[in-house]
Amino acid sequence: MRYSATVLDHFLNPRNAGMMRDPDGTGEEEYEGCGDLTRFFLRVRDGRAVEIRFQTYGCGPTIAAASMASELARGRAVDDLCRLKAQDIETALEGLPEDRRHAADVAAGALRAAALDALGKRG
Amino acid sequence: MTRRVYLDHNASTPVHPEVMAEMLPYFTDLYGNPSSIHAFGRDAREGVDLARERIARFLKVSPQELVFTSGGTESDNFAVKGLAWARGRGHLITSRVEHHAVFRTCQALEGFGFEGTYVGVDGYGMLDPDEVRRAIRPDTVAISVMHANSEVGTIQPIGEIGRLARERKIPLHVDAVQTFGKIPIDVDALGIDLLSFSGHKIYGPKGIGGLYVRKGTKMVSIQHGGEHERRRRAGTENVPGIVGLGKAVEVRARDMRAEAERLTALRTRFWEGVRARVPEVRLSGHPTERLPGTASLLVRHVESESIVLGLDLKGIGVSAGSACTAGNVEPSHVLVAMGVPLDWAMGAVRCSLGRSTTAEDIDYVVACLEPIVKKLRQVLPVGAA
Repeated sequence: MRYSATVLDHFLNPRNAGMMRDPDGTGEEEYEGCGDLTRFFLRVRDGRAVEIRFQTYGCGPTIAAASMASELARGRAVDDLCRLKAQDIETALEGLPEDRRHAADVAAGALRAAALDALGKRG
Repeated sequence: MTRRVYLDHNASTPVHPEVMAEMLPYFTDLYGNPSSIHAFGRDAREGVDLARERIARFLKVSPQELVFTSGGTESDNFAVKGLAWARGRGHLITSRVEHHAVFRTCQALEGFGFEGTYVGVDGYGMLDPDEVRRAIRPDTVAISVMHANSEVGTIQPIGEIGRLARERKIPLHVDAVQTFGKIPIDVDALGIDLLSFSGHKIYGPKGIGGLYVRKGTKMVSIQHGGEHERRRRAGTENVPGIVGLGKAVEVRARDMRAEAERLTALRTRFWEGVRARVPEVRLSGHPTERLPGTASLLVRHVESESIVLGLDLKGIGVSAGSACTAGNVEPSHVLVAMGVPLDWAMGAVRCSLGRSTTAEDIDYVVACLEPIVKKLRQVLPVGAA
């Protein structure tokens, strides 16, 4: 199998998929030339992301990366989320094939955008 | 154990047991070089000759008009380059929905001073012979059009194009890799001068194919060396492959019509099932002029590869109509030429049925597809696709 068991698990059972009403922060990232798009919604309490939702359009790894990113982000300080790297997501997914690395980039970028949006709103 | 269903017969097929049985001795006992004059060589030569005769009989052509190659891609390269280089310069006509083996060969020839016209298709993927007629110039040296499209299954009006070509004495090459052994082909009635075919699409082995070249057609070789294939294609013959191709053709000649009927019924069952259970889905290609076993779905707002992966995890093998590689999205050039909007084209999934496909397989795939598409649509950003 081309993808790790974790990638397949998150693809088949995406965590935190869906929309959110009145989020404290939203952000999206589109991968240029590819059409993959991920959008995150954050609910923030005391500077921490207490609830996260995502929506995505893309290939299997893109869905898995967004799902994994939502798990990694939950409960963490919003400042921290701005520093979450694509590599962190990829590592948590137990690796991505070379030509699918952008899946983690899209998820990290969207999450960062949502965190920055939440910080701006809070500030 | 997960059920396994292979619906990617346009990509490749398993070797038929009868074909395998006939090939095996040529690996172990009949291993001579057909060019050798001793008994070992003569035994191998006999196998090659028989295969050539079987294919000639099937196509109703002369055995001398057949050249064995390494497969469809080489046959296409040989046909297009062989015609072009024999004429030195000039104009080539092909279509925008060709297999890359023809499309990129024409593009490559443009780099050597040839000019190319790439004729468009309608929404069904079908060429208009009138457009081909309008594209013909006094210096047109060759026309190359595929018989049926591998992605959407549309069968081209080759007979009409053949008539145009013949009236103007322009050689017509037809890439028949997807039709050879699946539907009848009459090279004389259709006006075909060169015909590419392949072994592994018709339950023969991989790495073997052929090119029919009508007697008297001006051609040059693209592979030089020994005297093989009447000096048209140098290189020691792939004897087991050739024997396998010959047997595969003989089996197809026997089974082709009945299987075409069976596959057409299964394809209809598949499409009816999908249409009833999956919203916003279309069948691409021509409604009637199409390959018996090919059903290409366009699933709106869903990404092809995620469907392929979802089905793969259910033991089902289908092929993605658009591929995202290294961050570059590539909706199929065929669907783009057909004018399919991006939100449909990105969700193209090709299912191609074959010998082993049963009605139970079809029902299983339909049952698996419905929840996969539903799930993928649930995570979609609103208005993003």
